[in-house]
Amino acid sequence: MSDCGCEKTRRDLEEYLRNEVCRTEQADIREHLDNCPGCRDEALVSRTLTEVLARSCREAAPEQLRDIVLGRLRAAHLTADTASVIR
Amino acid sequence: MIATLEQRADPQVPAHVLRPPRAAPVDWRMMEEQVTPAYDAAAEARTQFEEQALPFMDQLYAAAMRMTRNPADAADLVQETFVKAFASWSTFKQGTNLKAWLYRILTNTYINIYRKKQREPYQSAIDDLEDWQLGGAESTTSSSTRSAEAEAIDRMPASAVKDALQAVPEDFRLAVYLADVEGFAYQEIADIMKTPIGTVMSRLHRGRRMLRDLLADYAKERGIDTAATRSRK
Repeated sequence: MSDCGCEKTRRDLEEYLRNEVCRTEQADIREHLDNCPGCRDEALVSRTLTEVLARSCREAAPEQLRDIVLGRLRAAHLTADTASVIR
Repeated sequence: MIATLEQRADPQVPAHVLRPPRAAPVDWRMMEEQVTPAYDAAAEARTQFEEQALPFMDQLYAAAMRMTRNPADAADLVQETFVKAFASWSTFKQGTNLKAWLYRILTNTYINIYRKKQREPYQSAIDDLEDWQLGGAESTTSSSTRSAEAEAIDRMPASAVKDALQAVPEDFRLAVYLADVEGFAYQEIADIMKTPIGTVMSRLHRGRRMLRDLLADYAKERGIDTAATRSRK
């Protein structure tokens, strides 16, 4: 872990991994990661955390929810119709 | 919606206004032209909404589960979100980001309905803390223990990850969720949460830091040694 670039890389690592840094900085960080195993491991932890979160939070809505929502949308639509007729 | 209502009002206009006397065949066509498109437009808007917005139901439900923490409230929240979104469907610009639009409504609805019940006042206090006050394990661990941490996180059961996320204060949890699970860009998260980008970034960093510590605690309880646990001894 060399001194040059580690601090900056750690600070902006998340932004780098999310593509939220400008092109120049992106190139700097990429180059640093190529040469620094410590920062590379930190990046691995960061990416793993994102992947595991996405994987763990997957959820399927209950079957009936779709029908309930469709029913409410139709009711809302009818209410709008009725309102316009009454007018 | 508004256009629909205006058009729909036409059949209410007295017939003699529309109908020139003794021109019956033309009348019917005129009536049809005026009535049918109005009904079609309303039905079309609903079909369009159902086709475009309903496919996001699973995703919205998953987010609602992380917000409300239970299936019944999550289902209610998703319902309210769709009803509200449909009511303002005419304000959605086709070709813009529908998912972000729906999440904005979901988040607003959640805050209006649920957050009033359970305020978490200490959150803004955390926002105000400096990073050094929160601590963290960044600089104290060696590289080899970091790969052990990545491995431990990777093996973490989904229930443990969700429990840990649930233990993170709400605003931080939401920022992490929107970025990591939904992949929203910082600007989109800022729009959804109605906060400056700087706040989004700080909540994201802190939320993830807390999460890493919580997951490390979980691993430690089960005898798995990771970077974060070792650094705290």
